[in-house]
Amino acid sequence: MNSSRSFMMDIIILGTISGLIYALIALGFSLIYGVSGVVNLTHGAFIMIGAYIFCELNKIFLSTLPVEFSQLSPILAILSTAVLTAIIGSIYYRLTLHQVLGDEVAILIISLFGCTIFQQIIYLIFKPVWAAQYPVPTLITGELTLLGVRVEVDKALAAILSIISFIGLWVFTSRTKVGNALRALSQDLEAAMLMGIDTAKMYMLAAGIAAGLASVGSVLKITSYAEPASAFMWVEYMAYAFSIVILGGLGSVKGTVIGGLVFGYVHTIVESRFPRLGALMPIFPFIIIIIMLIVRPKGFFGKRVEME
Amino acid sequence: MPLMKYLRKTYTSFATHIYDVPPRMFAFLSLIMLSFLPFMGIPTTTLQVLIRINFMATLAVSWDFLVRSGQASLGHALFFGMGAYGTALLFKYFGWPTFVTIPLSVLICVGIAVLIGFSCLRVKGPYLAIVTFAFPLVLTGIVKYFPELGKDAGIKNLPRIFPTLTYTERWLAEYYLTFALMTISAIILYKIAYSKTGATFVAILDDELATKACGINVSKYRIMAFIISGLFAGLAGAIAAHSDLFMRRASPTFLSAEYSFVPIIVSVLGGMATIYGPLFGTYIYTLIDSFILKEMLKIDDWTRALIFVTIVLILLIKWPRGIGRTIVEKLEDLEEPREIEEVQKEKLKKLKAG
Repeated sequence: MNSSRSFMMDIIILGTISGLIYALIALGFSLIYGVSGVVNLTHGAFIMIGAYIFCELNKIFLSTLPVEFSQLSPILAILSTAVLTAIIGSIYYRLTLHQVLGDEVAILIISLFGCTIFQQIIYLIFKPVWAAQYPVPTLITGELTLLGVRVEVDKALAAILSIISFIGLWVFTSRTKVGNALRALSQDLEAAMLMGIDTAKMYMLAAGIAAGLASVGSVLKITSYAEPASAFMWVEYMAYAFSIVILGGLGSVKGTVIGGLVFGYVHTIVESRFPRLGALMPIFPFIIIIIMLIVRPKGFFGKRVEME
Repeated sequence: MPLMKYLRKTYTSFATHIYDVPPRMFAFLSLIMLSFLPFMGIPTTTLQVLIRINFMATLAVSWDFLVRSGQASLGHALFFGMGAYGTALLFKYFGWPTFVTIPLSVLICVGIAVLIGFSCLRVKGPYLAIVTFAFPLVLTGIVKYFPELGKDAGIKNLPRIFPTLTYTERWLAEYYLTFALMTISAIILYKIAYSKTGATFVAILDDELATKACGINVSKYRIMAFIISGLFAGLAGAIAAHSDLFMRRASPTFLSAEYSFVPIIVSVLGGMATIYGPLFGTYIYTLIDSFILKEMLKIDDWTRALIFVTIVLILLIKWPRGIGRTIVEKLEDLEEPREIEEVQKEKLKKLKAG
């Protein structure tokens, strides 16, 4: 009885933590769909380049900062990674996807090929390291006990940072003028245009925020779970992001968080209870995608999906 | 006398349908040239590249046919891999000869196509593309998980289609077999695509709702497109599994992204949704890729992939008609019919104008 109860607590605590991080990874994907209606698969690539940029910046900051400030280097690195990836994301969006807006299939092909382009560039830059996969630094070590479950400090911190990001995004979209403009675009494109909102700029902003959130999520994920970065990780993470968003409903932030939590619980249960199925784990999100799209395309909380 | 009559009829039909249409005459001459190419003293490595072209072109044409029916798939490797694994498993567990296993595996592919066509009826556009993108990845995971399916190594040592040939003859036989495969499937798909049935496909591509309103059973046609496309892709996969070019085995590489993406790349190069575009595109792609970039400039695989994907991206944005289609339209010198891109551009203008 006691062991099964502690097992339940394990699932709940660890599943919540991993679910929150997954939700943060998927959040940008949902955001950009909600604002511009673009299914931007390049999100996976931003997750990947976010990890690489963070590792490189962390190294640079560690070597340049004075010793007494070396603790600050991961924080600086995360912030500058988010900004850099956001800039890359919005420029990429403006140069490619914005040009073919309205042509859904071209958007899909272009965004998928965009992932391949980023993959090749990363591979060509980090060629020697790739074979052994790129090492990722650990930020904070130590453990704490949360409701009787031992959790690493960095995982807990990552979950807290994810929650802060959700709240930050919520405050931004509901309390600021620019955020309101973004929401207006997602509600009614034509009315928003009539109100004098510059759609191109807003779309770029949404793409930038999405890329920035993706990079923060990926940094939190790889540092707290000690997963090595690789040029091919985008397929896996794009599948995670897409299946989470599909579970919760495209374009709905609440749905994304709930989808991420569900995904985290299922992931934790499979990992701890059925380790034999672990080898099948990479295809699990794809199965979710197929089943959800075929059975209930708008997800559990989807607001608007133009299927017909 | 009936023979003379028949010959005359053939000649008239040739003169009106092929000789008088410059693009078709060009295609006809290229076919003749390609069928004599192995006797021009080309080395075996070049022949292998040509065999690869034949496989890729078949795959690309069948992908293009699916696009023509308004169902862009990002996972066409599924049918290619299913064809290969179907024949390999039938050989492994029943030991049947190739002329039984290949048709049976094509039938399996048709069955899979019906299943996918049915299940994808509810999803459209980008969602359909993502579902189809997911299928081969799921299958790869399954294949790598079960030892019965050979895991990473795949199912090895499949028999050759022509077992009793010498080394040089074998490559020649493979070339002609795949050349016939490419030509026949391209001609059949072209015939279907430009028939009345094909017009229905284009109607679905342009406006599904309007097509429905015309009293056409859209679901039937969408599944039909999947079946026809899956049949040819599966046939290519089944033959590829028995060919020396692919080491006579069915391995997870058959399901890899290469066989989903290269058809897209060559179709965009040649002109999407035209059937002849991908054929043209495959030759251009291989010419630039294998002969110029690889042989002459010695650029490694990764940079070449980067170059091509970038080219396709720029082409899709700036020149969606493709090279082959532009040339053909110039040759035909016809008034350009209203095509998909124009409709989409209009939609875009409407969107931008509010």
